[in-house]
Amino acid sequence: MRNDRELPAPPPVAGRVLDADLELLDRQILDPDGVPISAVDDLELSTPADLARLDPQHPPVVQALLTGPILMTRIFGGRLPESRFIRIPWSIVTRVGTVVSVGAAADSLDASWTERWMRDHVISRIPGGRHDPE
Amino acid sequence: MILSDLLGSPVLTADGERVGQVVDARLALDGPPDGFMVRTRVYGLVVSPHAHRSFAGYERTGVDAPALIARFLSWRARGSVLVLWTDLASFTDDVVRLRPGARLYSPRLEHSGP
Amino acid sequence: MKGIFAVALGVLTAIGGFVDIGDLVTSSLVGSRFGLTLGWVLIVGAVGICLFAQMSGRVAAVSGRATFEIIRERLGARMALANLSASFLINLLTLAAEVGGIALSLQLASSIEPALWFPVAAIALWIVIWRVKFSILENVTGLLGLALLVFAVTVFFLHPDWSALGSQFLLQPSPHSNEAPATYWYYAIGLFGSSMTPYEVFFYSSGAIEEKWTPKDLKQSRLNVLVGFPLGAILSLSIVACSAIVLLPKGIGVASLFETALPVAQAFGKIGLIIAILGFVAVTFGAALEVTLSSGYALSQFFGWPWGKFRRPAAASRFHVVMILSLLAAIGILFTGVDPVQLTEFSVVFSAIALPLTYLPILIVANDPGYMGDQVNGKVTNFFGLVFLGIVLLASIAAIPLMIISGAGA
Repeated sequence: MRNDRELPAPPPVAGRVLDADLELLDRQILDPDGVPISAVDDLELSTPADLARLDPQHPPVVQALLTGPILMTRIFGGRLPESRFIRIPWSIVTRVGTVVSVGAAADSLDASWTERWMRDHVISRIPGGRHDPE
Repeated sequence: MILSDLLGSPVLTADGERVGQVVDARLALDGPPDGFMVRTRVYGLVVSPHAHRSFAGYERTGVDAPALIARFLSWRARGSVLVLWTDLASFTDDVVRLRPGARLYSPRLEHSGP
Repeated sequence: MKGIFAVALGVLTAIGGFVDIGDLVTSSLVGSRFGLTLGWVLIVGAVGICLFAQMSGRVAAVSGRATFEIIRERLGARMALANLSASFLINLLTLAAEVGGIALSLQLASSIEPALWFPVAAIALWIVIWRVKFSILENVTGLLGLALLVFAVTVFFLHPDWSALGSQFLLQPSPHSNEAPATYWYYAIGLFGSSMTPYEVFFYSSGAIEEKWTPKDLKQSRLNVLVGFPLGAILSLSIVACSAIVLLPKGIGVASLFETALPVAQAFGKIGLIIAILGFVAVTFGAALEVTLSSGYALSQFFGWPWGKFRRPAAASRFHVVMILSLLAAIGILFTGVDPVQLTEFSVVFSAIALPLTYLPILIVANDPGYMGDQVNGKVTNFFGLVFLGIVLLASIAAIPLMIISGAGA
């Protein structure tokens, strides 16, 4: 049984290191006003050109946070077609801490579609839905 | 490719010996700027011979409280290792195969990073 | 002066907020069959809920995150989803029981069938959730719940045999030898589940975020919890005692809230009954609000949706839709004709089964420096936390076997 104290330290990285499942997956995503958008349900990585002969010079690159129905395929198995992916591009992520912050307003993102739909078709139809509680 | 394709996949050495299952992907934020972020690559995979999933990452972060729970979960994730992307040969049929001579590193987070 | 009011308000709200239909029914039922011999369970439960409510409030105030968000982050999506499913279902059961409790209380006041009150109660609940501010909602129901103090006063007015009560509380032998041990322990678990309700922890931590607590508010929170909850437990204990004094000797069983209120009616007549009913309506209504909100909190926090009464409904649409659907589901359960009292008895036992799911994640997160900085649990807190985790695990595992052996407490 290997003791991890006997294992060597890996080569250093000139930048931050993040364990995807531990520190990114299942985290809350907030917009610049602190409005929740969704949770990180999965991560989209670039697919290596040849999966049978991986190129050490070209590791997969993080492309987007994924949310929505992909959570169910992640938990229960199955495959979601890429056309149904709901993406939040990695390039708009501003900060990764206990929450993930993005630089675009919630309403401007695909990921908030369900929330906007509920708002426009259900909640707004009920009197008082748009007002602050008293 | 999505992350959950990798998670849970068995990892074998070049000789077909089982190392464990992928419990995490270690990312390195050391690329050129990309929007608000920097280009982020997969640096390596955290592989565990016992646990199917890392529960709260106790074996990597060094959090040791509450004592009983920390001990139990670290024990469960004992033998976890880090393998570098450069040491991966293939990822086909949901199996990750290592290159001959692949090295196993400590998965402790304070050992990676700047 | 204003400071003292705020402090008092917090404490008083906690007292009234501790009791719900589960406490009302289980306490009076237990008193009518076992006297005060199960009183110790209330004490243990009160210590447990104090410990974990305070922990969850601290986690929320320091980290700014509410319970279910953290459960998913720390335990992973699969386990959190299992946790959510179980918690949500039990929440629905509890909600149906609370709405049933509102109806039972109103039936006492009006002699109108509970079934007619179900939709009225649900609509009233929804209107309050839709339009009333969080803090007002909490304070009003909490304060009105203090009407239940009439039970504490009743205990003295009934001139009980104090030494007999004392010996029941301390010495344990059941006054009725025809109650099997399995039944005793089954009700112990039920009483435990009614004090350490899972929704309370979700609610308390989400409430801390609703009221925008910072670490400075923790002192007030500690006071609310450490003074308010034990006093609430004493209220429940008074209900047990009243039943032990009045119902037990006559062998009266608890089939509705009428029997629960009987000791008060006996001591104070109509005026006492009115005060008791006011208390019943306040605590069941307040608890129903909390459970409904908890359903919204749990689901929204798991999926990462915007939530909270501090947001306009239009800014937290799915959160509000979930609550509307929960109320409809609760009414649906009640309209199957199930007896609200029996429903309550089941909901407290299932709450006990679900407790480890809620408490383990809180204990783990309260120790995580990533969320808590240097405000992680101290060794003493961890020690008691682990002890209670052991107790809730034991209760959770033993619940179903005991239910089967005792025939669900028949």
